Amino acid sequence: MAYNRYRYGPPALKSSVDVQLQSAFSDGNWSAVIRLAAKRFATFKDPYYEAIRVSTEAQLQGTAEKCAVLVHVDELVRSKKTPDIGILDLYEWACQDFIGYEIDFAETFGPLRVRWVKANASSPMASSCLQGCLEQWDLVSAQQIAATLDKTYANTTDRRYMFWNITLTFLLSISPQCTEASRKVYSLLTVRQLQKAADITENSKKLEKTDRGLLTEEEVCLYYRVLLSHGTKEEFLARLGSPKLGAISQLKQGHKLLFCECLDALETWGEWDTIYELCRDALKLGLDGSTTPFFVCDLRIWKRFVAAATEATNADAALDEVQEVLKQFIELKDKATPMYKKNISLALLETTFRLPSTTINPDHEDTALSPKVVQIGLFLDQYYERFAAFDDVKGYVAELGYEEAKTFLEDVLPKIPGENPTKAQQIIIKALECRLRYTLTTCPQTLSPHQTVVEGKDQGKPFQCRVCSNLAKSPCEGCLRKLIIDAADAHKQITSDKGLLAAIPKLDRDPRLDLALVMGNSLLKLSGLRPGLPNFGQSLWQDVQPDILLQAVLLLDTQLKVTPNDNGLRLLLVQLYLLFGCASYAYQLWAPLDVKRTIQDALSPLFFDRISSISPGLFQGTRPLMEPLRAYYTQSLRDPSPVRIWDAFSSGSYTSILDMAEYDKKLRTSCTLVMTLVEERRATRLFGGKLDVDIDDHILATDIVEDTTLVHKTDYGSFPSLESANGPPIQEFIRLGPGPSNERSHLAFLAEQYLDLLTYTPPKDYKPSKAAEAAARDKAYALETLTRINTSLTDLLHKPSTPKLLTPAETNYYTALSLLSALVLTAISLPKSETSVPKIVSQTTQPLKTTLTTLRTGLLSPKSTVPATTQQAISSLCDMPSFASVRDVAFAVKLSASFVLSHHDKETARDKSGKSGLHKEVVAEMKALESAAAKTLGEAKGHVGVLKGVMNESGWLDKLLDVVLGEDREVGELTEKVSEIVEGRGGAEEWAGKVVDGWREGVKGWGMVKFE
Amino acid sequence: MANFRRFRPDDLNKLSKCNLDPLTETYELSFYLQYYAKWPSLFQVAEDENGNIIGYIMGKLESSPDVYKFSEHYLPWHAHITAVTVAPEARRLGIGKLLTEQLEAAGDAGNAWFVDLFVRKTNYKAIKFYESMGYSIFRVVKEYYGDHSTDPTQDSEDAYDMRKPLKRDVKKEHIRADGEKHEIDPTDVW
Repeated sequence: MAYNRYRYGPPALKSSVDVQLQSAFSDGNWSAVIRLAAKRFATFKDPYYEAIRVSTEAQLQGTAEKCAVLVHVDELVRSKKTPDIGILDLYEWACQDFIGYEIDFAETFGPLRVRWVKANASSPMASSCLQGCLEQWDLVSAQQIAATLDKTYANTTDRRYMFWNITLTFLLSISPQCTEASRKVYSLLTVRQLQKAADITENSKKLEKTDRGLLTEEEVCLYYRVLLSHGTKEEFLARLGSPKLGAISQLKQGHKLLFCECLDALETWGEWDTIYELCRDALKLGLDGSTTPFFVCDLRIWKRFVAAATEATNADAALDEVQEVLKQFIELKDKATPMYKKNISLALLETTFRLPSTTINPDHEDTALSPKVVQIGLFLDQYYERFAAFDDVKGYVAELGYEEAKTFLEDVLPKIPGENPTKAQQIIIKALECRLRYTLTTCPQTLSPHQTVVEGKDQGKPFQCRVCSNLAKSPCEGCLRKLIIDAADAHKQITSDKGLLAAIPKLDRDPRLDLALVMGNSLLKLSGLRPGLPNFGQSLWQDVQPDILLQAVLLLDTQLKVTPNDNGLRLLLVQLYLLFGCASYAYQLWAPLDVKRTIQDALSPLFFDRISSISPGLFQGTRPLMEPLRAYYTQSLRDPSPVRIWDAFSSGSYTSILDMAEYDKKLRTSCTLVMTLVEERRATRLFGGKLDVDIDDHILATDIVEDTTLVHKTDYGSFPSLESANGPPIQEFIRLGPGPSNERSHLAFLAEQYLDLLTYTPPKDYKPSKAAEAAARDKAYALETLTRINTSLTDLLHKPSTPKLLTPAETNYYTALSLLSALVLTAISLPKSETSVPKIVSQTTQPLKTTLTTLRTGLLSPKSTVPATTQQAISSLCDMPSFASVRDVAFAVKLSASFVLSHHDKETARDKSGKSGLHKEVVAEMKALESAAAKTLGEAKGHVGVLKGVMNESGWLDKLLDVVLGEDREVGELTEKVSEIVEGRGGAEEWAGKVVDGWREGVKGWGMVKFE
Repeated sequence: MANFRRFRPDDLNKLSKCNLDPLTETYELSFYLQYYAKWPSLFQVAEDENGNIIGYIMGKLESSPDVYKFSEHYLPWHAHITAVTVAPEARRLGIGKLLTEQLEAAGDAGNAWFVDLFVRKTNYKAIKFYESMGYSIFRVVKEYYGDHSTDPTQDSEDAYDMRKPLKRDVKKEHIRADGEKHEIDPTDVW
């Protein structure tokens, strides 16, 4: 992507230029400027005036005038003379539209600016040249300029030149702009420069600004970053203990960054003794007054301290010391802010859990009321009413043994609010208890293995639940049912008690929300929902119990009306509605979250991933659906350099430079970025629209090539998390297929490249004079592209990790594309004269025909068949992504066949000798495929028609409510409980209306999709 | 539950707990990165055990442009709090106070005279919070905000410019007791 340094106007002309020319230039009166500049050049023979004329001519519309400047730039580059800086500025302005395309900055303006700086190193303009190169992310030229500046300003008080040089040498050493041979040299150079600087600091009594040592926190941290990347572990460790540059010494100066960063490095190396010593010394600084008392009193530091003590060479002594340091902090607790008080309490809890059981419980082994249980109780004594209490103790409760957990829940937790608790305190404890019980259902210690085969029959229940003694699967269904009933009773207790309802606004968190989440999550599990659904060839509805799944959604949706500001619940519901094809309602819930600007990259996949397959109709709104995302990337990635990078250079923020460069790289290769491009293109294709550019040529896809690792970083942080670490998090259960991944993003990108090739049409005015040569070139290009795409698709699909990263529908689609690309490649490269058709033709056409048949019979209802039951209809409505894959596969087959047949027709028309064109068997196969695809597409269209008809039937509200809450027949206890909470069918009607409307909207959108 | 450290750009992928809250504004990337580029030590975060950001403060060190040097509204070298936010789940633990103290310490390290910030006149909770930390009203900026937080019939709202002196201001020359009486126009804020 080209950087436009002159986005806000042209460069200022030299002050020696006369007023008349200056005003014409600043007014943009280009014809006057050209005339005047030519005149001045004739008079003064100053090439600057010639440059004004040439660069101004580039502002005119004519191609010849626009491009003349390129010749002048080329001459400058070849001449090897030092250019005039004013001329350089003018030419760079004139070439702004060419940089990155016709002109490579790093081979033109970059080296020219280097040449100028070398000749004018002490000029104030030299920094501006460095800035210019950085803004184009021309690291080679920038490093050369920085090295020149460093040499020129060595031993001055402005230390930045030295560190610009070092930082740029380092950046170059890790950049693809650097050749492999130079990489080693630059790596070594950076390390040596910084080692020398570090030695100067170590050996100086007092470092002056003019010394070339390490002085500021940024300089010191830069050194360690470079050491981590290019140095040795031994040197890193040795320097870490240094009296001046060590982590502890930096902490004493109030610099925490190095301490935090080095702990991460040490942990990856498993240097537990060093971690232990550093944490101990750092914490003691707070105790002896060298820093403020709680400067490093973060929970992460405590956890590392305790973990390192258990791993230390002398673990017993280390753990004693941990307790001693902790004791001293406990004594200081009264002086701490609530946050640090809590961190110290959690540190105590952590220590208790990590100490060997013989140390913490020498006399009372096997007791259920263990010190761990007591410590959780003591912690909750102080914090049970706080918002985060559950998250704080969840992990520890999940670690308790079964007897401990039982004692904790039955004997300790109920007593926490004291002898005379208020109703509100009781209900808070009840909600906490329910949440912890739910967590324990996800822990292995609540289940004992049990013989699953009885009398030769597999009972499907391989465990005995230790809580309810029933035979169980994991999680125990009996416990989940009991949990739902208990939570529902507690919920009802709140809603029927005016006093409790009045107390809720004063609480940290609404207990009804917690209870609803317990019920909702339990119902989801009971419904059979699990990661990896739907199974191959099946609808989600065939794998789960729809009534229970819908009850969960209804219940959670009802709770959202009570607590609309709870974003976790809202996100959960967005995912659930997407899961069962109710995208327009999901969008209504998504919109109030106001996901915009910077947070889109991490959060947008939660709604937009696969959206074109779920509900293409959403793309038909008045505002382009994904425009905010596209605008964000366009704005943030419009320049080749990381956003605000020069600010970091000019401020001497060296670690910021490295982090910003890394962040920029990840943003340019983000899976969300690929999702943005792909989803919009897919939607456009679905509606038969025309795409402006091929995906390869898209301005946002510049950095995406075959071997790019695409980065996914979806933020699930706000999801309510009741699960223990023993199983997958809730998002894995409710997401429509696996999350974004490098593999899936590449496959989607390749699919677009393939379709771009098939749908390419030359401009109308393209009429090559030598038709045969042009046809040969086109064919060569097509063969090369097909080979590349086919190889990449096949490689990706054959990676062992890939199947788990795709839905069955996606696997189908990309496998079909892999076969199609191979088939098209063979078809157009096979000479007509060939006597036998290679096997690959039948090896690809046969599976493609089989796939089409399987998809048709498996997923499409024959035109005349209306789903017999509501559940069958819902099943189809929920499975639109699979339906989308039918359309995608059939369309790709149709396009591929058309591409080959059109190639054949063109060749036959062009070459009347009859020698060109394709093999007749190939033509026949292609026609057969085309016809099979057309048949499938016709049936797919019919399927949409059937669904439309079904959705237009009356009585949908009742039908849906019958599924969810039961008909007039007797319903189970769970349904009764859910019904009570949602206030019966009457209360659920509005919800049912929204769901049905959502499905109708979805089908309406599919009705607009092109199938011809 | 919280760890305090300097912001790093990857934190932008972990902001949901703070930024999905309607009271927290989400800015363009260049805004966050400008602060990280220029004043990294004044951009601090609190994170939970899973790496989610549960609070952050963004600030800067600056003075008014030299051209205003002789104006009565000229601001000497000072730290400014641009944004401070704490996720709903992490409130009432003093995280906002700790983040503010860290910014003040960075202001002291940068030899600033004082820390200042703007707050809506009707944001009583925030005003009380800042007063408890030693901030006082230095001046009232009339119609600083283009909307009103509580009264939809009004199209603007005044701001309090609140200040806290730092170590450099030994004589407390940069604060005043009657700040509420000093009203200025938004055009006098640079």
